[in-house]
Amino acid sequence: CSKEFLDRPPEDSPNSEEFYKTTEQIEVATNILYSVPWYNFISNVSWCIGDLAGGTGRTWDPRNQDFDLFAITGEHNTLGQAWGSLYAVVAHANTIINTIPTTANPDVPQSVINNAVGEARAMRATAYFYLVRIFGSVPIVENNLELVDESYIPRHLVEDVYTFIENDLNFAIDNITNTKSSDPGRISSNGAKALLAKVHLTQEEYAQAYQLATEVIGSGEFKLLGGTGADGTTGSYNDLFLTQNDNNSESIIATQWTGSGNYAEGNGVQSLYALSGITGFDDGWSAIGPSLDLQDTYEDKEMDQRYKATIMDPESFYPDLNGGYTAPGPSGCNAQGTNVAIKKYVVGTPANNGGGARSSYANNIYLLRYADILLIQAEAIILGNVGSMAEAETAVNKIRNRAGLPSITNPTFEDVFRERKIEFAMEMEHWYDAIRRSDALAYLATIQRGWFNDTERGATSGITDRFVTVTADKLLFPYPTNETLNNPALLDPPVPYFN
Amino acid sequence: QKQVSGTIMDSNNIGIPGANIIEKGTLNGVVSDFEGNFSIKVGGNAILVISYIGFETREIAIDGRANINVTLEEDLSQLDEVVVIGYGTQLKEELSGSVANIEVGSIDKIPQVSIDQLIQGRAAGVTVTQNSGRPGGAVSVRIRGVGSINASAEPLYIVDGVPISGDSRNTGGSGRFFENSSGNLAGLNPNDIETVNILKDASATAIYGSRGANGVVIITTKKGRKERGTVNYSGYTAIQQPTNIMPVLDLQGYAGLQNEMREVFQLPEQVEFLRPGLLGKGTNWQKEIFDDALLQNHQLSFSGGNEKTQYYLSTGYTDQQGTVKGSGFDRTSIRLNLDSQILDKVKVGINLTASRTNENIVANGDSRGIVALALRNNPAVAVFNADGSYAGPVTAEEIALAVPNPIAQLENTDNDLRKDQLLGNVYAEIDILKNFKLRNEFGGSFGYNKNTLFQKAFAYGAISFDNPTLTKTNEDFDYWIVKNLLTYSNNFGGKHDLTVLVGHEAQQSSYNGIVTTGSGFVDNSNPTLNNADADTYIIDEYKGSNSLESYFSRLIYSFDSKYSLTASIRADGSSRFAEGNKWGYFPSVSAAWRLSNEKFMEDFTAIQNIKFFGGYGEVGNQEISNNPFLSILNTNATQLGTAFSVSNIPNPDVRWETSKQTNLGVDFSLFGGHLNATVEVYRKVNSDFLFQLGLNDFVLGGDSSIAGSITPPWVNLGEMENKGIDVTLNFDTLSAGAFSWNSTLTFSHYKNEVLELVDGLTINGQTDLDDTNQILTETKVGEPIGVFYGYQVEGLFRSMDDLNNAPVQFGQPVGDASAVGRTWLGDIKFKDVNGDGVVDGEDRTVIGSPHPDFTFGWQNNFSYKGFDLSIFVQGSYGNEIFNALNRSLTGTNLTYRNQLESVRDFWTFQNPDATHPRYTSNATPNIFISDRYIEDGSYIRIQNVRLGYQIPSKVLDKIGGLNKVNIYGSVQNLYTFTNYSGYDPEVGAYNQNPLLAGVDNGRYPLPRTFTFGIDIDF
Repeated sequence: CSKEFLDRPPEDSPNSEEFYKTTEQIEVATNILYSVPWYNFISNVSWCIGDLAGGTGRTWDPRNQDFDLFAITGEHNTLGQAWGSLYAVVAHANTIINTIPTTANPDVPQSVINNAVGEARAMRATAYFYLVRIFGSVPIVENNLELVDESYIPRHLVEDVYTFIENDLNFAIDNITNTKSSDPGRISSNGAKALLAKVHLTQEEYAQAYQLATEVIGSGEFKLLGGTGADGTTGSYNDLFLTQNDNNSESIIATQWTGSGNYAEGNGVQSLYALSGITGFDDGWSAIGPSLDLQDTYEDKEMDQRYKATIMDPESFYPDLNGGYTAPGPSGCNAQGTNVAIKKYVVGTPANNGGGARSSYANNIYLLRYADILLIQAEAIILGNVGSMAEAETAVNKIRNRAGLPSITNPTFEDVFRERKIEFAMEMEHWYDAIRRSDALAYLATIQRGWFNDTERGATSGITDRFVTVTADKLLFPYPTNETLNNPALLDPPVPYFN
Repeated sequence: QKQVSGTIMDSNNIGIPGANIIEKGTLNGVVSDFEGNFSIKVGGNAILVISYIGFETREIAIDGRANINVTLEEDLSQLDEVVVIGYGTQLKEELSGSVANIEVGSIDKIPQVSIDQLIQGRAAGVTVTQNSGRPGGAVSVRIRGVGSINASAEPLYIVDGVPISGDSRNTGGSGRFFENSSGNLAGLNPNDIETVNILKDASATAIYGSRGANGVVIITTKKGRKERGTVNYSGYTAIQQPTNIMPVLDLQGYAGLQNEMREVFQLPEQVEFLRPGLLGKGTNWQKEIFDDALLQNHQLSFSGGNEKTQYYLSTGYTDQQGTVKGSGFDRTSIRLNLDSQILDKVKVGINLTASRTNENIVANGDSRGIVALALRNNPAVAVFNADGSYAGPVTAEEIALAVPNPIAQLENTDNDLRKDQLLGNVYAEIDILKNFKLRNEFGGSFGYNKNTLFQKAFAYGAISFDNPTLTKTNEDFDYWIVKNLLTYSNNFGGKHDLTVLVGHEAQQSSYNGIVTTGSGFVDNSNPTLNNADADTYIIDEYKGSNSLESYFSRLIYSFDSKYSLTASIRADGSSRFAEGNKWGYFPSVSAAWRLSNEKFMEDFTAIQNIKFFGGYGEVGNQEISNNPFLSILNTNATQLGTAFSVSNIPNPDVRWETSKQTNLGVDFSLFGGHLNATVEVYRKVNSDFLFQLGLNDFVLGGDSSIAGSITPPWVNLGEMENKGIDVTLNFDTLSAGAFSWNSTLTFSHYKNEVLELVDGLTINGQTDLDDTNQILTETKVGEPIGVFYGYQVEGLFRSMDDLNNAPVQFGQPVGDASAVGRTWLGDIKFKDVNGDGVVDGEDRTVIGSPHPDFTFGWQNNFSYKGFDLSIFVQGSYGNEIFNALNRSLTGTNLTYRNQLESVRDFWTFQNPDATHPRYTSNATPNIFISDRYIEDGSYIRIQNVRLGYQIPSKVLDKIGGLNKVNIYGSVQNLYTFTNYSGYDPEVGAYNQNPLLAGVDNGRYPLPRTFTFGIDIDF
């Protein structure tokens, strides 16, 4: 036989030796960072942490209830998916960061390479930002291939993880050339800056947070959907969560799902949030319901448009859902004993959303949106004594007015916190707000995690209370046990990453 | 023409039944009846040729006589016994490698639909476990221990010269396989098989080079004989019954359990359970999913030939229903085997079979399988509501917690797999020069698989699925092989025999599959894709190929029937490895000394037929995925356009796995040939064994269940050793008279040990149990592969003193029953194995081994006159089972799950001596992987009992037209002696994964089968 007989390259996919060369190939290289690797985290875990542990949602489902009850161990498969999925984002970002600068053809402009690397570093920072808030000290992985032969890989100091995130975002700010108008689905330079503001806020570095948030607001690149003034545009809060409005002007960082119906190319959130009968499939498990605590947070459920856009009352009517949808009566519209169900991120059947399949829907999930930046600015002003109270008032009222609520004056930290809780309810966010509080343990202990005993509202059987005492060690989640077994170094004290 | 009659007798004057009496030079012949009598019409000067297996053939001239009595002398040496070896045959006495020969005659009337199922217990050193009782189910075959981990550990099968991989996971192909489907040999009709030879050691398998590391099973199908045409019909009908049911709670017990749990968990009472005594038995879900099932098999064959041409034609049909409702397998096959001496120096032939199998697949083997669902399901729920709809959960709490209705699931999931296969080999053999023979073969296997998975719209209780979804997989594969073999054989001076083979071989395997999914059907009535909503189509395609080119040579030399020497070498080039690592070289040498033929042994008669043999060889393994040295990109759709991402970490250095094997053996006979024994010892060392490295999730981006995770690299990980002993004892009364008894005992022992793993790695075997990924086994240096790994249990906490003085368990403070995350009385007390004062992940240790101390098979054949009785007993000793099903059925941490009856004896203050821990909620450490779930898996099984009767020829003569009629009845899987508490101790390895051997996770249990059959020669 000839030599070629034993030469059998792959016939159904390209290989990395022949890719990442041309401008076109490099421009699409980062697409993966907005999609598949996020799937398990977004669909299965993010809401368990953000809303179940956070207390804005509740459940009876025994696996997910462990988040509600702080009974998570390293054996918990759902939590393990957060670890794996976020590191999958890191791995694919690393491939781009480490490969493209050396494989690109000489005729590819440096700005194209830097833009792609900038996007990848911004996405890597996004993943590490979740990792450090969920797990605390974690291993910083910059080159996965170098670790293949290592059996002892240490974890790194929390402050070094934050420094690593900041370095990535600063590179992204300096090098990304995409803009909201040129590439509405991709991270822009100002988008990276917005995330950096949040990273600083989380570290209580209020001056930097204020400075960066103010720059982003001043840039005019993002606009509040339904807001007024220079940074507002037509639409409404409810419009934020329609598939057709993916990558709207308020979206800063969002996963980019499709309606292909393939596993992990769409998001699975609707399957878990929706009541059965809405999605067109046998999902619609209403695995989580809006907690009694959240329901009590609204000042006015009629006036605040965010209520109906977030929470589905029995017999309520949604003209935008499946061409007109009326929720079932009290017995059918009762997710996890809450006497209501979730509306946010519930978008209906594939036919009404340009495709999709069970556990794979086309609507994007926000990782960061402009409303967050306004509230970051306000919080930084209030807690950091920077800027002016007038700016904080403007920012908070933009959020309140867009929702249909009247303005307030001299907002306090609690005012901003309440707005965040309502604004981002079911957006997998509240846990991170709760643990940022200086009195996080006391706050978490006040959350009503119980359920209604009866679907008839106000029935005599009332509420079964459940309050959970949270200890300081529960503010971080444990590493997956399989990981500590494979790499016991995770149990050793963290080491510095930067010398 | 005249009638000649007489009797054929042995030296004890006992009649020999079944002896062949043929008129020399013609096709005229008869067979003696069971008293040894015969009667034949022959010409006056005819010569009769009288033969019978185990006796010397005699030729008798009639000389006008009408009555002839013939005495046959026993032929103890059976010198002419020929054994099939790779690329040829060899006289058994000259054999120096380890080859086990299975007599198909003893197994071909056992109701198993696949040949790999039939070789269980028949050959020493060959461990066969049925992984499942599903129809046509694949088995795990381990020849002399476990040689590899990720690369397939299954042997290579050679069917009439065409290689077929035993790896049903398809690791070396597209990597895709149909879960819970039949094995790769299920298309082959066992009735067509003549012999099965198993090459066990490297001196025998080295001629197969890179594919011989796990042993080679050579299957030869029936050929026509140089005799008049025969028409044979054989058929059987069988009833298969589920063997036993597990003692889960009935409704009264379940209601009591729920009441107790709800009290402990502080949940509101369930009103309907307030008076359990008033309730009935409820639904017995096991009875609902299991049922008696029919198995039938029919085969018609035609064979015969003359001096120049012989033929064998057959057609067969097998239909096996499964004991789990909805499962089934059927096969239709045809075969043509033809050999013809077309010219003086040219012989040609073909072996060709075409088959179609159809399977109805029912998911089993994991926590979501039908058997596991049935066991856990709530007996308070009916199968159907009064209106005929499926019953199921109704309230929000039930919906969140309840187990799906298994009957609704299986009746609304149509998973049909059709496999069409054409397997064949054409050869031409030319005597080109004196002593030189050239043989060319072209063979292949060409197949087409069609899988239709239709999930119908259905509802049970308040849960509804109203979007029927159809997934169709169409997959074709082509495999071809071309062989050119040149053989030189000569005899020098009457004493020196020399045979030299040189050969070249090229083979290629390619596959291409398309998977299309559509949903949005209006209803369940027309499950074809054109009726789906066109917007929902999802299409996937996969394609690839691999190739192997080989050069090989073998020399067999024997001297004076005393000494023989075999040496072989093979060079294989494989497309699976990068340039520079493509070629591997596999040498072997072996020798035999036939001590009994030495002059000085002439007077030594206590032991006969003594032969010592031994050898050394190296073989390879390359059954890994294609292109492990390249980083392949995945493509995905995103809203930004197509995304490209690396799918795997490449390793350009990956190379052949090599197995170095040493074998020493002895054959001998005692008591005048009544007892024959073979004893062999061996050592196999697999170096550089191929493994897909298990890396940390933070390096790979999660395990394979995480979307976007990167596949770890294939590496040459380490070294593994298997040492063992194979013993085969055969006893035969050797009487050709009315009564005979033949008994064969095979005994196999192996010891597996991992000698080296690079970087001191530990390999974890993990799988989903109750929807959570759990590490069940570990593999590390100094231990056997895949030993069970977990915590040791010391008992229950029964006193406050014990609780307060014990090491802290998993960081949980001592608390009380009212809070989660506390250790309390009635919890499992885990052992602080490393003595560091706390119980945590570091305290996991080896808690059991799935490897048996020994396995055995004992076949007995008795015959008396026309009756024959065979009893086959088979078993395993010393292996342990991880009873994952038991873990699920004794968890007592979730409401709405049925449990075993034994859990009701649970710890409370009132029941301090309980056997079962307290009830506690979901995240309890009580269910951590521990030796609580390890059970002894030893068993002895009466695998088959068969009674047959051959209708006397006198009777047949009266009917006319019939040559031979056998009727028989048999019972398969008659009874199993075991202490194992699950369905069946023969657990096997889930999906043939050696890291998950002995894990019982709701597998499809083996049925008991009652068979009636008939076998007729016309």
